[in-house]
Amino acid sequence: MSALQTETGPQPVAAPRPIAVEMTGVEKYYGKFKALSGIDLTVRKGEKIVICGPSGSGKSTLIRTINRLEPHDGGTIVVNGITLDGSPTSVQDVRLECGMVFQQFNLFPHLTILENCMLAPRLTRKLSKTQAEALALKYLERVHIGAQTHKYPSQLSGGQQQRVAIARALCMEPPIMLFDEPTSALDPEMIKEVLQVMEDLAEDGMTMICVTHEMGFARRVANRCVFMDQGEIVEEARAEEFFEAPKSDRLKAFLAQILH
Amino acid sequence: MELFSDQFNGYLWQMVQGAYITLQLFAAGFTLALVLGTLIGIVTLSRNWLIQAVWKTYASIIMGVPSLLIIFLLYYGGSAMLSGLFGTDRSFDVTPFGAGVTALTIVYAAYVAELVHGAVMNLPKGQFEACSALAIGPVAAWRHVILPQLTRLALPGLVNIWMIVLKDTPLVSLAGLNDLVANAKIAAGATKEPFIFFIAASLFFIVFSALTLRLSARLEARFGRGLAEVKA
Repeated sequence: MSALQTETGPQPVAAPRPIAVEMTGVEKYYGKFKALSGIDLTVRKGEKIVICGPSGSGKSTLIRTINRLEPHDGGTIVVNGITLDGSPTSVQDVRLECGMVFQQFNLFPHLTILENCMLAPRLTRKLSKTQAEALALKYLERVHIGAQTHKYPSQLSGGQQQRVAIARALCMEPPIMLFDEPTSALDPEMIKEVLQVMEDLAEDGMTMICVTHEMGFARRVANRCVFMDQGEIVEEARAEEFFEAPKSDRLKAFLAQILH
Repeated sequence: MELFSDQFNGYLWQMVQGAYITLQLFAAGFTLALVLGTLIGIVTLSRNWLIQAVWKTYASIIMGVPSLLIIFLLYYGGSAMLSGLFGTDRSFDVTPFGAGVTALTIVYAAYVAELVHGAVMNLPKGQFEACSALAIGPVAAWRHVILPQLTRLALPGLVNIWMIVLKDTPLVSLAGLNDLVANAKIAAGATKEPFIFFIAASLFFIVFSALTLRLSARLEARFGRGLAEVKA
């Protein structure tokens, strides 16, 4: 009976899937400036979460605390059952669970596309050269870069570089992917190819947390949208409600600004 | 004095031997300064106050005192320092060469360390973050990602230091090392032909510098891969 409900019910994601990321009361300070205050966020396996908000609202900081690129100062973060307590093993374990894609790609400029994708699997997953190469080619094919594997990052367009960055993260085969404004540094004509790769990933059931301003992507892909302002989560809702019936004035004002 | 007489050839041969000593001194001094300086440069990136205090003291002494004084200190005071460190019952012999290599190493390690600091500042922070996000440990990240890029950023400065170390080697002759310049001086004094021998010594330095520039161009092409192609 419950299975039937899940399939026909209005909220398929509400089924109690295992929790992938759980943040409780997370705080972060930069000196005296409070960058995150009382962040509570639960992301279940397979969910796609979009985080948006004005610049300086703490959305990048939030996503960066999840894999501890920024250590948090209060509250708890649990990723796939691992509590981020700052010990080197917990940090390492959490980073193996999370792939990350940056706004500025951060590819290694002195390595070829293929080497960029092979480096981390060889170093941290101790794969052999052949295994790592096969893995890298598989994911480079998946982001449609299979033909350019021996070029250097600087020889590719921004959109291609960002797709390589996605493939590089996927090569670690993480169950969770974090995207920190993946299309913000791209020329408009390249945004689509990157979003397409992200949508393909979403269809395959990847757990995704994306900081992005791409509202079309949010509508199509996100299960839930989170709106942040001044370091706190102001509103959190399913994508349709988020865009059609925003509750808070701050979100209404923000949507009016960006949906034109 | 007759050119290519036996006496002339004798002095010339002495200069060749001197040049060999100069090259050994340079190679040992530069290599050790490079290795030690890189290590010091990496370690002193730490914000630990003790490391910073030691580094600041070392850097201000080394950069403020002429290399010649450091050579003299190590040559004339070296055996006393070693006895102080390892016990007065043993005696230590400090050769001009040993003092020279040590002095060049500790002086130019400071400059190399400064160079490493500058290069790390110029490296985008995202490179470190990408390594962290990919769970690459700090040692592997330095080895495979950071250092190869630092080499590219630091190369022009390293070539500079390379030339300066080479031109500082004659200072060690003042502590009694029979290097190229010392032997040129002996030959010039004995034969009253300053031009021939000093110009021959200068030619050696010019040729060596020219070779250096070719080497550095090749290294730059090697470490600039991935970046050089954009400009082409």
